[in-house]
Amino acid sequence: MSTQPLTSELFEFDSATDVIEHYFRAGWTDGLPVVPPTPERVGEFLDYVGRSPSEILGTEPTKGRVITVEKVAINAVMAGCLPEYFPVALAAIEALCEPQFNLHAITVSTMGAAVLAVVNGPIANDLAMNSSVSVFGPGHRANATIGRAIRLVIINVTGALPGVLDKATLGHPGKYTWCIAEGEDVSPWEPMHVERGMAEGSSAITLFAGLSATQVSNHTGNYPEAILTSFRDAMFSAGYGQGEVVVVLCPEHVGYLGGAGWSKADVKGFLHENAQRRIAEWVSAGHMSPDGADLEAMLATAQSADSITVLVAGGFAGAFSQVIPLWGGGSNSQSVCKEIRN
Amino acid sequence: MVIAERLQVLDPTVQAIPEDAVVARRPDTLDGKVIGLLANGKINSEEILALTQEVLADRYEFAGVVARNKRNASRPCPEHIIDELVERCDVVITSSGD
Repeated sequence: MSTQPLTSELFEFDSATDVIEHYFRAGWTDGLPVVPPTPERVGEFLDYVGRSPSEILGTEPTKGRVITVEKVAINAVMAGCLPEYFPVALAAIEALCEPQFNLHAITVSTMGAAVLAVVNGPIANDLAMNSSVSVFGPGHRANATIGRAIRLVIINVTGALPGVLDKATLGHPGKYTWCIAEGEDVSPWEPMHVERGMAEGSSAITLFAGLSATQVSNHTGNYPEAILTSFRDAMFSAGYGQGEVVVVLCPEHVGYLGGAGWSKADVKGFLHENAQRRIAEWVSAGHMSPDGADLEAMLATAQSADSITVLVAGGFAGAFSQVIPLWGGGSNSQSVCKEIRN
Repeated sequence: MVIAERLQVLDPTVQAIPEDAVVARRPDTLDGKVIGLLANGKINSEEILALTQEVLADRYEFAGVVARNKRNASRPCPEHIIDELVERCDVVITSSGD
């Protein structure tokens, strides 16, 4: 057991079942049972990273909450993480606390964003993270529990309780967990974290305040223009003038793009140019008021080609990709990339 | 008889840090006061403030009205708007439209 002193209040129960039921009643879960956070298990997490339990990772200023390593460890244990996942969870919470992520707003808004976490670098393989078949689905412990740890911290530490402060109209299934690794092994391009300034060979986690994804199906196109044109309608669902929008390309689609010699910048440029329509159409789709609008002018989904984040993930069989709009027009919460210190 | 050891577990929550803040003194009347109206930038946030002003104006004689809109509901109110309202107004009413 760790010799580092813990300051959280201790409770005693007769059994693990009693713990689980108490944590349900107290509102300390996402609706699923939790692993009892014993001091011994929490100590193993702290020892693994060698960081002080009292170290402050950040603050949630609107609700006046200070987030320490100890509280993240407790919630990571509850989520079902292993100690070796803990460096990823810590980096995620550091990213969550960056002011540009706008943590309070994205966790309480009626718009109902979830936190999409994307892991890059060698740690994804080390932890057997899934970037391939059923990448957004169940069955992979690191994906499932790291994403869940982020949500439990949001509920228990920042106090964004569903229905109390979290007032999402529809919510989001990703609020249980939404964590993947990028399919770097099948991507013809540099990994997303390297594109964002991290060193090659480093590991990083990138957080997005993601809304519901729209699946893009194209089984007929076998050259870039034919494939990417079918992203147009899905991108329109994000709205116009987006500061950031995420496009997840499956291996089959990206294979045709890379095979034709297209760079990531080429893809972004095409998507930006292609996902434009007359303001009259934005008006008729309910995205904007006609008052004072130049109805014949063209308006794009993304502010610029650089407003589109492209990443690669998914299984080899099937030509299904995704567009993920971000909360607040992709401007009021900006994605954050943090190095994972292991 | 062996008595099973009880299971100890840790509190996963954090309490908010209490701030030294007190509720501002309420005026006895709105007669002769400058009223601030701060809309949050969402649809109808200005309309509901206008209606509120209309209802209150039937009962009180304001010395003035300062209406502002913070424009972006997703971000905190800009400091310069807060500073202006603090400086010029006796009472500020905010709205959250949708």
